Amino acid sequence: MNHILLFPIVFPILAGIMLLTVIKYQNRKPLLAYVGTVLGVNALWGLFAMFRVSEGVTVFYLTKSLPIYLKVDTVGRLFASLMVLVWLLGGLFSFEYMKHEKNEQRFYGFYLILYGVLFGLDFSGNLITLYLFYEFMTLTALPLVLHTQTKEAVMAGLKYLFYSFAGAYMALFGVFFIGRYAKTLEFTPGGVIDPSVFRENETLFFVVAMLMILGFSVKAGMFPMHAWLTAAHPAAPGPASAVLSGIIVKGGILALIRVVYEIIGVDFLRGSWVQQWWMILSLLTVFLGSLLAFREPVLKKRLAYSTVSQLSYILFGLSLFEVQAMTGSLLHIIAHVFIKVALFFTAAAIIYMTGCKRVEELRGVAKGMPVTMWCYTIVSLGLIGIPPTSGFISKWYLAEGALHTGIPVFSWLGPVILLLSALLTAGYLLPLSMRGFFPGEGYDAGRFAGKEPPLSMRVPLLIFAGLTLGIGLFPNVFTNILSAAADFLM
Amino acid sequence: MEMILNFPCLCILLTMFSAIISSALNRRWARYLNTFVVTLVGILSAAVLMFTLTSGKSYVYQMGHFPAPFGNEIRFGSLEAGMALFFSVIMLLSLNGGREKIRMEIDPGKEKLYYIMINLLLSSLLALVYTNDIFTAYVFVEINTISACGMIVITEHGRTIEAATRYMIMSLLGSGLFLIGICILYDMTGHLLMEYLYTSISNIMAAGTYRIPMMVAIALIVVGLAIKSALFPFHAWLPDAYGYSTVSSAAMLSSLVSKGYIFLLIKLIYRVIGFEVFFGSRIINVLFVFGLAGMIMGSVSAIRENDIRRMISYSSVAQIGYIYMGFGLGTGAGMVASVFHILSHGATKSLLFVAAVGLTDASGGHKEFDELTGAAYRNRLAGAAFLVGALSMVGIPLFSGFISKLLFAQAAVQSQGKALAALVVLAVSTVLNAIYFMKTVIRIYTPTDKKYEVTAFGYKVSYAITLGCFILLNLLLGLFSQPITNWITQGLTILQ
Repeated sequence: MNHILLFPIVFPILAGIMLLTVIKYQNRKPLLAYVGTVLGVNALWGLFAMFRVSEGVTVFYLTKSLPIYLKVDTVGRLFASLMVLVWLLGGLFSFEYMKHEKNEQRFYGFYLILYGVLFGLDFSGNLITLYLFYEFMTLTALPLVLHTQTKEAVMAGLKYLFYSFAGAYMALFGVFFIGRYAKTLEFTPGGVIDPSVFRENETLFFVVAMLMILGFSVKAGMFPMHAWLTAAHPAAPGPASAVLSGIIVKGGILALIRVVYEIIGVDFLRGSWVQQWWMILSLLTVFLGSLLAFREPVLKKRLAYSTVSQLSYILFGLSLFEVQAMTGSLLHIIAHVFIKVALFFTAAAIIYMTGCKRVEELRGVAKGMPVTMWCYTIVSLGLIGIPPTSGFISKWYLAEGALHTGIPVFSWLGPVILLLSALLTAGYLLPLSMRGFFPGEGYDAGRFAGKEPPLSMRVPLLIFAGLTLGIGLFPNVFTNILSAAADFLM
Repeated sequence: MEMILNFPCLCILLTMFSAIISSALNRRWARYLNTFVVTLVGILSAAVLMFTLTSGKSYVYQMGHFPAPFGNEIRFGSLEAGMALFFSVIMLLSLNGGREKIRMEIDPGKEKLYYIMINLLLSSLLALVYTNDIFTAYVFVEINTISACGMIVITEHGRTIEAATRYMIMSLLGSGLFLIGICILYDMTGHLLMEYLYTSISNIMAAGTYRIPMMVAIALIVVGLAIKSALFPFHAWLPDAYGYSTVSSAAMLSSLVSKGYIFLLIKLIYRVIGFEVFFGSRIINVLFVFGLAGMIMGSVSAIRENDIRRMISYSSVAQIGYIYMGFGLGTGAGMVASVFHILSHGATKSLLFVAAVGLTDASGGHKEFDELTGAAYRNRLAGAAFLVGALSMVGIPLFSGFISKLLFAQAAVQSQGKALAALVVLAVSTVLNAIYFMKTVIRIYTPTDKKYEVTAFGYKVSYAITLGCFILLNLLLGLFSQPITNWITQGLTILQ
């Protein structure tokens, strides 16, 4: 019975492989029907399985001491639910968008494989399983980045790959060390290392912890390993950059939560130089990301820098080792998924309908695409953190948490930087809305006329914009669950 | 069951006699005979493996009339039998995968010679695996060298002749050092059989006399075998030899010939020099450093290479470095990791060579990366097989390479003092591996509009089956590694 957890992992992977090798569709319709069916069936099954099964499942043994082990907990459920939502709506969005790309079948093949791999990542119950799916996530996301196969895309793909591998091996390095000292690699809140063992080899564990933090945060784009993100996102096709920014980069964050909270244990790291450096790097990234986004003229690249900055909000929250900040982080994960996917959908819709990529070309765009731009504006406000949107709630929790910790300097510096970055966020997101709605004198009114994207692109946008508002209006539904989860992890 | 004890000896004799008989056959029958013999050796070795695994003991088999300490002996336990099985499986697959190429590249009149060389190669490999006599080992090292040279030179174009000459020179230097080492050992102990050598050497080391000559002898033997197995910095002959010879030769040279020497070295470490003596000496530190250097330098050279075959060859330099790094750790776990890596690298590297030839043939015979663009679409199976090989090399879980890395790392963290260096280099080398292998994978999966002449090669059923078997072998090593490491551990224990 517990093995139904395997189904949502295996089924889309097999379906994707079939699509890549055996099945050949001449027309779009049957292809889309196939993809849609797999997405839908798997979503239902996945959600059913993860809320039904709470025991772990050992799939098989890689070596005697390293089982491949699946187990679902609250954090896993959170990530998996977000992933399912984005995958379904991203699929719907791409049905229209991918019309203007070649090799659709390959795109959907990997899209489905990645779907299964991400279920695996979210369901993994020990470090080695996590690592396995993490590597496969890196690999199967690569074809999405490479999809257009222009020189730019290939270079971006390679960059993505090398940064990811470098990060993964830094992390693996840590896995090896921990594997030696830990009793088990199964995720256990509070860590798996004996306090006495930890005290004996304190320096070693700090180095290992730092390496793993650096390694996994490559995916989450933390400075100084963020450069792949801003290369890969603009190069990928629109829906792919949306899922990259929404979900794939969160894989790094999931891995960090697992490693720091459930393998090493926060009690050991509290107050150490590891925590300090983590806070410094994440705050630096928050600020730098916003600054770079502010200076960036290409819309998708600007959004990518914004991702860099926003992910480090989450990382900063994680690095505080405090329940409220952790709740803020988890909330911000949700908020950022909805907002950033919507923002990338907007960018993709604009490219798809008009071909414009740079922000200054988009004067008056809202006259032709009012629905799209309204959604853009709403989620932008969310990202800046203006009530009553989800971003406000999450940032509130983050700042409160930081002040609450009482760590010298950082407890006030953190909120200050978060505020500064929010200002910059407004500075790089809102001009598009303002120029879009109020172009001023002398713009070509006809250029954007009737460019509103078709329904299948508008619906996902509207849903995400609605969710952004929804969480802001009714935050208690989430905060209770999430603070319980955060409390459990401490 | 007594019958099975004859099998190892029978295998060696079978291969030697089939080499002799082949010279009287035509090329077709030579090929049939060769296939038959390799398969038979595989089956016999499998039987020996089953037998030794169930009994858990090792056996000594007297050769000829004179009993020890004068006569010649064969000795086998589960590790030896398993190696023999592995070698014959890889040989069969490599030959099958490159069969078409052998027919195309080798002059029909010489094809027979090629199979003679293969038979001799197998006989020498088996002898290196099974022998209990250090001088017999030397003789078969030379036979091995000669047949390997023959396999390189058989295609008869300029590059291979040059490569074979370089290989010959380096290899003879290696065997020369090895021979001198044996001579010194014989001088000091008066024995050639491994058991007796072992006892004498431990007596000498315990007495404290002749320490320096002993170390010199050990160093000579180790360096000699290291040169022959292309440990950095003695690898200069390797890229040409692997890069230009026919594909079956390249696959066998990288997966079998160099591994045969390494396995001999393992035997010498356990059975002659003694585990404690060897790991107490400073020689392992040298091996460790050169192993680490090879892991980096091999990969750096591979990154700079523009020829897919030579790139794969340079990657061998790096992988040989891993194996010596495992020796250098100086622990039992390091040895287990090294032996596992012999298997995993053997299976992966021959897969890569065979897959690469499918890709180059689908690109008009060009080996440069520019021409290989989109090759995986022109020969899908070869593309998929190359992908599997590359992922294994990079160390993605589920494939055999990951288990190697895991075992190396686990061994490294247990060894004090060397852990950090080993792990750092392991990580760096893995990233470097990823650079050139993933670059190639992306290249072959990038579509192109350029049209190439379609060759018959690569669409043959036997080629497809070979690649399928290779992929399965790789996954087998990656997914079910526990019984294999158990077997290695057990085999190494009874080796002593």
